[in-house]
Amino acid sequence: MIDFAHPAYLWGALAVAVPILVHLFNQRRPRPLPFGAIEFVLRSQRQKASRLRLRQLLLLALRCLLIAAVAVALSRPQLRPKGAQSAAAQGPQAVALVLDASLSMRYRLGSRTLFERARSEALAALDALGPDEPAVVGICAGEGGFLTPAAAPSFDRIAARRALTAAQPTWVTSDLTTCLDLAAKALGESPVLGKKIIAFSDLAAHSIRLNAPPPLVPARPGSNGPGTKPSVVLVDAARGSALPNAAVVATAVRPAPSLGPRGYEVVATVANWSASAATGLPLALKIGQSTVSKGFLDVPANGTAKKTLAAVLPAGTALGRVELARDDAHGLDEDDAQDFVVHVPRDVKALIVDGAPSSLRSRDEAFFVEAALSPARTGGRITSTTLDADAAVNAALDGYDVVLLLNVAAPPKAFVEKLRQAVKTRGMGLFIALGDRVDPDAYNDAFGDLLPRPLHLIKTAAEPGAGGEDRAARFGVVDWGDPLFRIFGPAEREGVESARTFRYALLKPTGSAARTIASYDDGAPALIESSVGAGHVLLYTSSASRTWTDWPIRVSFLPVLQQAVGFLAQALEERQPVPAQVGGEREISAPQGLAVLQVLGPDGKPVAIRRSRPDAPDGTAGPLLLPGVYRPQVGPKGGAPHDDPSLAFAALLDVKESDLRRVDESDLKAQLGGAGSAQVAASSEAAQGAHGTPLWSPLLILGALALLGEGLLTRR
Amino acid sequence: MSLDPALLARLGPLQIRARKVMEGVLTGLHKSPSHGQSVEFSEHKEYAPGDEIRHIDWRAFAKLDKYYVKQFEMETNLRAQIVVDASGSMAYGRGAMTKLAYAAVCAGALAYLFARQGDQVGLCIAGDGTRSLEKLPRGVRSYAPFASSQAHVQAILKQLEEARGSGPTLLAEALDFAAEKASRRALFVVLSDLFDSSERSVPALKMLRSRRHDVLLLQTHDREELEFPFDDPTRFLSMEDDRMVEAQPRQIRESYLSELRRFLESTRKELARADVEVAQIRTDAPPDRVLLQLLARREAA
Repeated sequence: MIDFAHPAYLWGALAVAVPILVHLFNQRRPRPLPFGAIEFVLRSQRQKASRLRLRQLLLLALRCLLIAAVAVALSRPQLRPKGAQSAAAQGPQAVALVLDASLSMRYRLGSRTLFERARSEALAALDALGPDEPAVVGICAGEGGFLTPAAAPSFDRIAARRALTAAQPTWVTSDLTTCLDLAAKALGESPVLGKKIIAFSDLAAHSIRLNAPPPLVPARPGSNGPGTKPSVVLVDAARGSALPNAAVVATAVRPAPSLGPRGYEVVATVANWSASAATGLPLALKIGQSTVSKGFLDVPANGTAKKTLAAVLPAGTALGRVELARDDAHGLDEDDAQDFVVHVPRDVKALIVDGAPSSLRSRDEAFFVEAALSPARTGGRITSTTLDADAAVNAALDGYDVVLLLNVAAPPKAFVEKLRQAVKTRGMGLFIALGDRVDPDAYNDAFGDLLPRPLHLIKTAAEPGAGGEDRAARFGVVDWGDPLFRIFGPAEREGVESARTFRYALLKPTGSAARTIASYDDGAPALIESSVGAGHVLLYTSSASRTWTDWPIRVSFLPVLQQAVGFLAQALEERQPVPAQVGGEREISAPQGLAVLQVLGPDGKPVAIRRSRPDAPDGTAGPLLLPGVYRPQVGPKGGAPHDDPSLAFAALLDVKESDLRRVDESDLKAQLGGAGSAQVAASSEAAQGAHGTPLWSPLLILGALALLGEGLLTRR
Repeated sequence: MSLDPALLARLGPLQIRARKVMEGVLTGLHKSPSHGQSVEFSEHKEYAPGDEIRHIDWRAFAKLDKYYVKQFEMETNLRAQIVVDASGSMAYGRGAMTKLAYAAVCAGALAYLFARQGDQVGLCIAGDGTRSLEKLPRGVRSYAPFASSQAHVQAILKQLEEARGSGPTLLAEALDFAAEKASRRALFVVLSDLFDSSERSVPALKMLRSRRHDVLLLQTHDREELEFPFDDPTRFLSMEDDRMVEAQPRQIRESYLSELRRFLESTRKELARADVEVAQIRTDAPPDRVLLQLLARREAA
């Protein structure tokens, strides 16, 4: 768009008619002359005629150009980019330069990222400011608006330039609406009357809240009245280019028993924000550094698709990554991968000591326990061996993670000593279920302090099958947060609570550190656990068969027993850690007796930890600035920290940033206070539009060239 | 002293002008050329049947008893055919004289000179339209046969004075006619600008030479034709037909002059190859000096 400072001078362009009229009418009437040598005149004229006519026309054009150029130059035209409002350039303005540094600005367009483009535009805009225009720079990233609070506009160009050149794109989302508000507030601190915000952004729809009020510069203190609307220029860093993008937006990891023990499947959700479908996107699953599975998927335009990749993972904490293996350097590559942390329980070997074997399988004491631990039900993670009591006494316990004593008569001391050693030193787990063969006194004698609490006597709440089932004991208080029971949601707890127990052992009260996990409705412990050395002992005060209780035939028995074995083997199927969000924080609870000492980020550098009290063992790590896996390190207070893989977690990028679809320009202008004060421009020249690009010097040069050309032509 | 054309132009009838020019030429020559008395004895030749009996030298017969015939200079005397081009273009001339007037003065002077030394001189004026009643072919406006009497010269001068330049160049036809009339070898003096759109004049001149005639071309031009000194836009009109052209003389001057030079040069070379003598003369040069130089040159040759 071209503006004229003195449009009246444009009438001068009508003087172009003068040379045209002269050309048309002032051709002198030639004098007739009879001439002898006309033959040669004719020949010369034939040779020269076309060149002469061309020269005449050229002369005419140059003269017209000269007059027109001078007339237009006098009207002082300036070039203003499309959409710029002419009223904007009224005196000096305080200017806020807002640079979007959100993740989506890392989008690579050609050889440069959007951020680099936006930054160079911002620097150009800074250079274009008049000497009487104060400026402030704000780097927009994070939910809170600016990375650092914006100061009042100043004339310190060096500081503003440094702020722009030092800015780096972040991994977090940005809220441009808030940033514009904050910029408007900062402008309120400048006494300069004109206010202008120039924002350099990708204008992605997610960063702009269309329902928010437009930015308003607050009134100066002392003057009452409403604030003023600043003029807002949004510079599109992509210059209107479409920004198609594909990203991994979700990763779900779940066990896949069909793949065998430690088989997992990873379901990746890939979104495609593009007008065209993406076909044959290669997707890879990496565990550690090695790629373990690959696949391809098609994603419809502006849609999502899921792809399941399967892998057998090693036991322990596995750090995995799903990534779109794309090799072109265009677009936003940062969101093409997602990390995940999965805790893979190790395999457990269990020894079931059957105290009351029976030839009738269903009457066998170990029937329900064997069924619960069968490979079909545990995915092969638990291998169990069943021995009768006599055989077990002589068996070597090496290699077993858990020993389950089911209704075993008090074993010989030597066996108990073997058990104790294994529990104490090796951390083996011991599960003791009672039954008719158990004599409390002999048990107390044999096991001693290996029992969480000594047995007192056997209580019969009701006789099974004698019609007194309603007097049978039920679980009263259950620690639902305990690993044994946390697998039950509130709706599933009924299955546990409805189990009826007819007979169980009462325990002697002691001051031991045993922990009651579940107790009956009369308060007697049902499941009680104690730590012995490196291992745990779990005592179930009723039977693991149907003789004393009907719990084993209920569906809730199986998972509890599996969890109990996992717990005792210290190979519990952990609930997978929930990923954190980049830009957010993460609470980290230290294991018993230890404290979270530091948290290492994906780049290997420690992340800040905030604690409720200076000496609290737990802490909140954050802000998490990078995507990837974070490794908390624990240790005793003041001791050396060591990695605790069970606390590792992944921080994921905000999915919103992957969607670079732009906000509608007219909606945006409406939100910013209408087209009168807002404009969306493609470049910083547009941002400078208030000043415009003067055109008179080129016009005068053009006029001078026309004059020179005219002189050259007429001289010949 | 030479005769300035401007002065010459004011001298009145052609007779006076031509005589003045002739006098100037004669003064320059000091002495008449070797063409002396036309009846002077030259040599003896043995009599052969058909020779004039009255030319038999009886004294020689008396001494030698053989018939000898006296051969006189008269028989070797010149026959000069003057051909003047009276086409339209010859009427050009905005100075003292037109080209035709200038050519007429030269032709008249030459006629005087030839007649004065006893040579026979004829005149042929080339141009269309016959004024006399005698039947002349196209291209010959008037014709005077060879003779050397003063009365004949006066007749020639009269014809020259009456000649007006008009119509197309018909020099080729006139030369053909004159060549036929000249039964034996003659000197052809042709006065023309050779501005001939049909381009037949040069071949006709070469044809004359091939008939063993001596040919002298006095190519006559006006100063303006040679220098093209015009400035203002001009509509140039042809003087021989209805062609015309509007031009900016300043813009085409260079081109015109180079075209003209090329024409003069190529004509001169072509005629020189055919052994036709060419003298390019300007109407602003004194005619007596021009003729003098010409005669001196021929004398030397």
